[in-house]
Amino acid sequence: MGRNRPVPGERVFMAMVEVSQVRKIYQRDTQAITVLDGIDFQVPEGEFVALMGPSGSGKTTLLNLVAGIDRATSGMVRVAGQDLSTLSEGALARWRSHNVGFIFQFYNLIPVLTALENVELPLLLERLSKKQRRERALTALKIVGLSDRAQHYPRQLSGGQEQRVAIARAIVSDPKVLVADEPTGDLDAKSAEEILTLMETLNRDFRKTIVMVTHDPRAAQRAKRRLHLDKGVLQA
Amino acid sequence: MRYLPYILKHLRRHWLRSLLTVLAMTFCIFVFCVLQTFLAAVQQNLEAGDSRRLVTRNAVSLVFNLPITYKERIAGVEGVERVAAQNWFGGARKAGDFKDFFPNLAVEAEPYLEMSPEYILTEDQKRAWLEDQSGCILGPATAERFGWKVGDRFQLESFIPPYRVGKPFEFTIRAIYATDEKRFPGTDKTVMFFHRKYLDEATAHRVGVGTYVTQIADPARAGTISREIDALFENSERQTHTETEQAFRASFIAMAGNLALLLNSIGLAVIFVILLVTANTMSMAVRERRTEMGVLKTLGFSSGKVMGLVLAEAGLLGALGGAIGIFFSTGMIQALPHLPFIGDAVRGIADFGLPASVALTGFSLALGIGLIAGLAPAVAAYRASITDLLRQV
Repeated sequence: MGRNRPVPGERVFMAMVEVSQVRKIYQRDTQAITVLDGIDFQVPEGEFVALMGPSGSGKTTLLNLVAGIDRATSGMVRVAGQDLSTLSEGALARWRSHNVGFIFQFYNLIPVLTALENVELPLLLERLSKKQRRERALTALKIVGLSDRAQHYPRQLSGGQEQRVAIARAIVSDPKVLVADEPTGDLDAKSAEEILTLMETLNRDFRKTIVMVTHDPRAAQRAKRRLHLDKGVLQA
Repeated sequence: MRYLPYILKHLRRHWLRSLLTVLAMTFCIFVFCVLQTFLAAVQQNLEAGDSRRLVTRNAVSLVFNLPITYKERIAGVEGVERVAAQNWFGGARKAGDFKDFFPNLAVEAEPYLEMSPEYILTEDQKRAWLEDQSGCILGPATAERFGWKVGDRFQLESFIPPYRVGKPFEFTIRAIYATDEKRFPGTDKTVMFFHRKYLDEATAHRVGVGTYVTQIADPARAGTISREIDALFENSERQTHTETEQAFRASFIAMAGNLALLLNSIGLAVIFVILLVTANTMSMAVRERRTEMGVLKTLGFSSGKVMGLVLAEAGLLGALGGAIGIFFSTGMIQALPHLPFIGDAVRGIADFGLPASVALTGFSLALGIGLIAGLAPAVAAYRASITDLLRQV
């Protein structure tokens, strides 16, 4: 796992995520619903940002745009130096596999695969031998403290453990950016603490840029910066 | 190959559903292979007919014989080289008991052998048969089936009333004919031939001739000669119908109510049903895994790759079913000649076995059904956006 530590003389705070004048409009029959309206913000490399706001405020939609799994109606989304609107579907998929790790609220592990196989899944897209894939997946599991559960299936793990496996899957390709959609939303307080601590570690020790959606103020407190979204508009 | 364990694990997720789908496919390919093998064997037998040989029978039905006097008149038609009378004897080791049945024909030995090079005898074997009126020659498959060898004696009794003389006919095996698959593919290895003179004398000359087999010089004139032969007897009490040996054999199939059409229709119906079963399985499998497909796409799997995984899963179901179906059909085809009733029907067919072409077609069909069944859900997975896929829980 690459530790993207800054070296002397290197510009530390380049914008890892740059969102400029982004609008997202959904068409429901004849009705146009504006979910995001003129969003502007930047996330420097190595920052940990929490996106907050009430339900329906557009948090997850904005996160999806940053993760490259949805496209803006207008405006620009640049992540890790790449303007996502210029990429084709195939190129965007390749870009995601190298640059973004996604952490879901409900973990979304594949139930028929073991923890190790789940973590290994993104590596199937890389030109790696089976042995290399196994080694990297085990390393990721070790980072999240679950190397002893490598052969366990999701149903044999607790919610917190499942989320840690999901985090291992998100970091196994060594992406620059981690996006997390309510990563503690389905967990008890203790497990949520553990997950947030792990995310802090990934941000601090591995210099991962993290954008996290949450409406839990305690979770948001662990981020370095908080952005508030309401009715599709960023609040000052 | 790196995705194979992933695909297999998904098939094992609902193992009973996967198993039932594979079994349905197995049944489909099993039926297809058995039916097509039977049709291929019948077709090969038809093609084995010599285009230089014509068969003349009673125009009304094969059941009615023709007068023995017709032979000389047929032989007098221009272009005819030789004529041999023959009768289907229908003999069994126990009258009416067809469990041990094999085809047996009373023929005029000399002209018949002259025009039938596919039944290969040495000069000594030929002479031994011609010199013994109760002698017979036997196909190698029948000899092997009963463990008979040259010199052995056996009895047959016909179920056809005019050929029943109050006691069985006794025969001595004078030769076991050889065949040449390269020169004469599809030659029947089960037939027994005996002297028509033996039948004629034993029945006190009461029976006529079942069919006349005529060898002609030029196959291109088969139609003309057939019409000329039939014209000879146009105004007689027993009119004739003459056709090539291939057409004569094909008429048996036509009499069975267009067997090929029937069997192909059954096969198509089975294939269509299995296509629906497999398509349903794949649709369910994909519908249940919409979120997982969204996750795969989020991880960087392209839409094409996700579509490929669905198709590979469907294709694997098909291929598995196909392989097992071919395995079982091979066993069934080998067992078929030993079964009662059905065995009697197929035992006379030369080299009855699963042809490689049928097995290959069956496997391709299974794979094709799987892929077609998986196509619609695969395209749906391809088209769906990640946000739509992740929204389904």
